Amino acid sequence: MRGLTKEYVLQRFLMYLLTIWLGSTLIFVIPRLAPGDPVSEMVGRLSLDAGYIENADKLIESWKARFGLDAPIHVQYFRYWGNVFRLNFGYSLSHFPTEAWTMVSDALPWSLGLLTVATVLSFSIGVTIGSLMGWRRTPRWLQLILPSSLTFTAIPYFMFGIMLIYLVAFELDWLPATGAYSRRVDPGWNLPFIKNVLTHAILPVVSIVLTSMGGWALGMRGLMISVNNEDYFLLAQVKGLSPSRIFFRYGVRNAILPALTALALGLGGLISGSILVEFIFAYPGTGYTLYQAIISQDYTVTQAIANLIILVTATSVFLLDLLYPFIDPRITYKRNMR
Amino acid sequence: MTVGQRAADETTTPARGWGLNTWDSPWLNFKFLLGVAIVGLILLFGLLGPLFWDTDLAYTGAGPLNKPPVWQEGGLPEHPLGTESNGRDMLAQLILATPSSLKVGFLAAIIGMGIGMVLGSVAGYVGGWWDHVIRTLSDSAVTIPALVVLVVIASYVQMTDTTAMALILAAFAWPGPTRLVRSQILTLRERSYVRMAHLSGAPALEIMFVEMLPNMLPWLAASLTGGISVAILGATGLEVLGLGPTRVPSLGLIINQATTNAALVRGLVWWWLPPIIILMVIFVGFFLMTIGLDEIANPRIRQFSSTRRERTAAGELPAVEHAGLRGGEEEDAALEVDDLHVHYFTPRGEVIAANGVNFSVRKGEILGLVGESGCGKTTVAMAILQVVQAPGRIVQGEVRIEDQDLVSLSGKELREVRWRDLALVPQGAMNSLNPVTPIREQMADAILAHENVGRLEVEARILGLLNDVGLPERVIEIYPHELSGGMKQRDCIAMAIALNPQVIIADEPTSALDVVVQRVVAQTLLEVKERLGVSMVMIGHDMGLQAQLVDRIAVMYAGNLVEVAPVGSAFSEPLHPYTQLLIESIPSIKERKPLNVTEGLTHDLRNPPPGCIFQFRCQHVEQICRERRPELVEREDDHLVACWLYEPERHSLIELEEA
Repeated sequence: MRGLTKEYVLQRFLMYLLTIWLGSTLIFVIPRLAPGDPVSEMVGRLSLDAGYIENADKLIESWKARFGLDAPIHVQYFRYWGNVFRLNFGYSLSHFPTEAWTMVSDALPWSLGLLTVATVLSFSIGVTIGSLMGWRRTPRWLQLILPSSLTFTAIPYFMFGIMLIYLVAFELDWLPATGAYSRRVDPGWNLPFIKNVLTHAILPVVSIVLTSMGGWALGMRGLMISVNNEDYFLLAQVKGLSPSRIFFRYGVRNAILPALTALALGLGGLISGSILVEFIFAYPGTGYTLYQAIISQDYTVTQAIANLIILVTATSVFLLDLLYPFIDPRITYKRNMR
Repeated sequence: MTVGQRAADETTTPARGWGLNTWDSPWLNFKFLLGVAIVGLILLFGLLGPLFWDTDLAYTGAGPLNKPPVWQEGGLPEHPLGTESNGRDMLAQLILATPSSLKVGFLAAIIGMGIGMVLGSVAGYVGGWWDHVIRTLSDSAVTIPALVVLVVIASYVQMTDTTAMALILAAFAWPGPTRLVRSQILTLRERSYVRMAHLSGAPALEIMFVEMLPNMLPWLAASLTGGISVAILGATGLEVLGLGPTRVPSLGLIINQATTNAALVRGLVWWWLPPIIILMVIFVGFFLMTIGLDEIANPRIRQFSSTRRERTAAGELPAVEHAGLRGGEEEDAALEVDDLHVHYFTPRGEVIAANGVNFSVRKGEILGLVGESGCGKTTVAMAILQVVQAPGRIVQGEVRIEDQDLVSLSGKELREVRWRDLALVPQGAMNSLNPVTPIREQMADAILAHENVGRLEVEARILGLLNDVGLPERVIEIYPHELSGGMKQRDCIAMAIALNPQVIIADEPTSALDVVVQRVVAQTLLEVKERLGVSMVMIGHDMGLQAQLVDRIAVMYAGNLVEVAPVGSAFSEPLHPYTQLLIESIPSIKERKPLNVTEGLTHDLRNPPPGCIFQFRCQHVEQICRERRPELVEREDDHLVACWLYEPERHSLIELEEA
């Protein structure tokens, strides 16, 4: 009974569906719980801006019909799910002829790229630091240096980002402050553009990595200390194995398992945090687009992005779950432990 | 510590021992206290600020625009931290904003913790269907990106005050505490003191609050401080995006106004930097509290850092003193342990776990090392193997195999001797195999670390070894969790004989197994020994088993060897009073015997008495036993004992001293 069993995959898949259902339902329910409805409120705001709108009631009625808000709530709910499944969220309100989904899918690669790089970096650096901190045989000079890497752990990404922008971009003028690439370069698969994209990504990535790696390091340190006290770790020493083999095959290999679980669970938080980073750096990813949609009252784009982010998060967690049995052979036995 | 004492310790709630006002209370953790102090100072700034500064200055038009702080050119003394683009006084704004940011965090985290405690207790305590639903819900809720949903909520719900925001944040703060409380209850429920409470008929709520809650407290506190900073982060995030309450000043709102007014580009550092600094100080404070509490909750981390500190303070580990006296070197010894002293350096003093232990194991012999729990026999085994765990340390003595002193070897030299000359059959075979690698790899590891052989040969040798201990060949590709306890133990034996070592240390090899499997494992050990002629140290407390397996027996009491004798004479005519008690206590079918061993108390191992270590429990104690320590002396043929009873001259010895 090793690797993936049908039962395990099915269970994880149900969990995956449940997460998406929960998240999307929240996004459906919340606006409807609010006093008033989005359309009336929007028209109200429009009339505030414009001073007066003719036939405001009629406008509200027709918009409600257009968005299907005049139907009973359960019908709306089923319709909503049909749209989510077909990834059909209608037109963007602020950029009218563009479809909401198009706007979202344009932004997605930027976010995915930024986050994947930042997450992989912070997780691997953090886990390495933590493993070394929790190992008795780590050289003493290293033991003394390592804790300094935790300096920025307590600082939220975006505050660190603001300070980086001020220091590195404005005061020192080393790197660009905002955006994903400069207007003067030609988007496409050419070297100047790629270089430009990379220089723009440095500050956001650094602000995420420096502030989040300490969390992984601390967690990994605790796990590694526990493994240090395990019988198999002792036996590995007595067997006369080389320190590096003990460290990797017996130490890190076991200690990293709960850290991977934490990674799967923490992805939601990571993606959340990136919204602020994208906002601070005006990085044209999903988070920034979401912010702009909310500022411009773009109801459809907001819904599309929120659903997409939930979908992406749940999918990454699901994929990690599917990888897990290959890393921990016991998982199909102790699935109830999680 | 006697068996009885240990059991008693297990059944009383450990948390009750934690006096909050004693100086070694674990709550006096430096990081935790520093964090409390930092957050306290920030809180004081917010609470006492209005008494010293006019907070009305925090509103639009209260002063001139864009004035820098007083220490910069153009700064005004009436606005010490400067003003921003609407003429609002920065100091007044910060005083108003700080407590409101803290309030949101506290409120949201406490509500979340409350929900989490209720749901977690239900899941952990009631279990069944409830557990399933709550666990599934919290597992999937925790993966939903909270801020995304929050942002969507905030865009529809106009949050008027901080309480509304705290309530919404609380909706995302419960899964963490729920999971924590559930897993803590599941763990604690299995502890013996909670079981005792159950058996004694205490009501569930009482058990929850009296037995469990105090033990969960550090975990809960860590989760709370962590939750507070997450909630403050969430609230600040919304405020920075301009989606929080806009009428109440908050640190995030100041940052939002600064960034939307291009304060960064305009160089109005005093506008955006102070709220960030205050927030960072708050986060650092809560972070310190959280990691401090983690250390409080997890003693291993505490111990790890303290042993490291001790090591750094003392410089490198002090060199081991070598024993000058080599008492009775034997010609045909496979392993010699000479004047071995192992001390544990605990915060409450040095525990002497092995006090001048001397013995040798002859070639092809099994030496049994027996004694009650806590007498130091496992410590001796670990010291022979050079794996005494911190805070323990070998302070004196030698362990020789073929005239090579293992204590003085280090690094590579020691690695070469290990397993090739000295192997271990561990105490807990259950946990001694690496759970994530198949048996093949673990056995190959041992061989390949010492010999340069090809893959095919390794494979063939492993199969041969498995066959030697009576395990089927398919075991080679299996993972440890797929083996039974007895099979794991036999696999450990197979691993131990892989390199044909001189000496095998078998540390209670059968203690965790049921009687039938015990027999099989013991037989396997004997067969292996007969075939390979290997020498063995067999550690155990089961006198019956020892009688069947070993050639000579060494009895240990409170860190000292008290008797070493061939198994026949040890059982037929035990000399030391302690050995006599041990042998009397072997249960027999023919007659019922009282267990006499627990009479009297062991002394405090940190502070051994002068004289004989067994004096408090000995029935034959005399004056000299209280004054002078008896040496291990050969009293009969090959039969050594450390007891004054067999010293005819003992009375004159004491008179001599008095004179």
